[in-house]
Amino acid sequence: MNRPTNEGRMPDFGEKNARLREDTLANIRKLRNTLTKELISIALFLLLSIVALDNFSVFPSLSEPIRAALGRPPAANMISAVLLLYVFSAIILILARMMSGSGRYGGVAHVGYLAGFYIFYHLSGKLPENFWAVFASGATVLGLESYHVWLYCSEEIEKERETLAFLNNKPGGRE
Amino acid sequence: MLKSLTARAIIPVTVSVTGFVVVCCVLLYSIMKTDMTGDMIAYETSQAGIIVKSTRYAMLHDDRESLANIIDNIGTQENVEHVRIFNKKGLIMFSSNHNETGRLLDKNAAGCIECHSGPVPSATLGDMKQARRFINAKGRDVIAITAPIHNEPGCYQAACHVHTAEEKILGTLDIGLSAAPLVNNLAVMRNRMVIFSLMVLLVTVGGVAALLKRYVFVPLRLLADFTEKTINGIEQEIPPCGTEIEKLAGNIRHIVGELNSLRREKARWKKEE
Repeated sequence: MNRPTNEGRMPDFGEKNARLREDTLANIRKLRNTLTKELISIALFLLLSIVALDNFSVFPSLSEPIRAALGRPPAANMISAVLLLYVFSAIILILARMMSGSGRYGGVAHVGYLAGFYIFYHLSGKLPENFWAVFASGATVLGLESYHVWLYCSEEIEKERETLAFLNNKPGGRE
Repeated sequence: MLKSLTARAIIPVTVSVTGFVVVCCVLLYSIMKTDMTGDMIAYETSQAGIIVKSTRYAMLHDDRESLANIIDNIGTQENVEHVRIFNKKGLIMFSSNHNETGRLLDKNAAGCIECHSGPVPSATLGDMKQARRFINAKGRDVIAITAPIHNEPGCYQAACHVHTAEEKILGTLDIGLSAAPLVNNLAVMRNRMVIFSLMVLLVTVGGVAALLKRYVFVPLRLLADFTEKTINGIEQEIPPCGTEIEKLAGNIRHIVGELNSLRREKARWKKEE
């Protein structure tokens, strides 16, 4: 009968535990980075809103040839309709992610979409009237998403910490 | 606190509903503001047309006294901030404010530049381009419109006048109405929207919170109390729960029943020993 050569000896869990601990620590770092990225997105959006509140006066205005090359801006009502559609879709998507417990998030992409709305309103000359609509949209979408990401990451970090605590109490752990 | 079950149920609903209602209200307000301003400009354009038509006879007969009287009377009307007629050189011929009669207007001023931006002045402009909004010397918010007085066959064929048929515009009527009624209406509408948003928020959040409390949180608390008392050895009837938690309650009832019978059995054995 063939028997394994190391039969009767304690298997070496130390190396596996060390690798698992490294993975767990890497996961915790990744989750913390996700939270930081979400906060950076909010900060970017606030910065963008401050610039937009002043009707992008910090930037030089577009010259006539560039405006002519860009063509006629879309009507303000059309931009508003798209904004409404965007907010509705984004809220539904985030709520669906919350319901399924998924860790996916839009982050900087949402800031990009909102910047697009600010720019289109600015080009159509209706930014002062519609600034608060875009700002409220951003606050809603990013606020909801931040809450979701924060909850998700907190739970995942807690799980990873439990794993870490378990590993530290095992043979080969830090003790 | 933000991680509790209540917060997890209430916060997403509150943020979603409030945010969406606020965005809708702001967009609706913006659209209605644009529409109401457009309506006011259309009304002013119509008023300007009426004034031009009503002064036509006096102009044809070069009756300057009647013309001045008409302009004066219109100027005394409530919410009319100014009415003036100036010739194509920009000289104010008639005005509800007598102090400015005879003054020359700057072609680069708001209300003039729209037509005089090019080398050849434009003879026609859309209603919105003819309109301008500003704060006048009395500190009042004014929406003004300039309407051209076109050269008609009756003008250049009349014996008393010297206009040629080639002249397209003979002068311009400038009328400014107070924007106060528009601003007041918009403020009332804005306040109503804020009240409406708050009511939607209260009804939604209150409704969701009440229903969650009635059907989820209270049964969960009762079950938690029940299991806690059972652990401490207190026997009691399981509290009635909602339909959704009935299955969980049934399972707990089953486990507790078995636990109690085991406890009784253990107690009996101890007695027999």
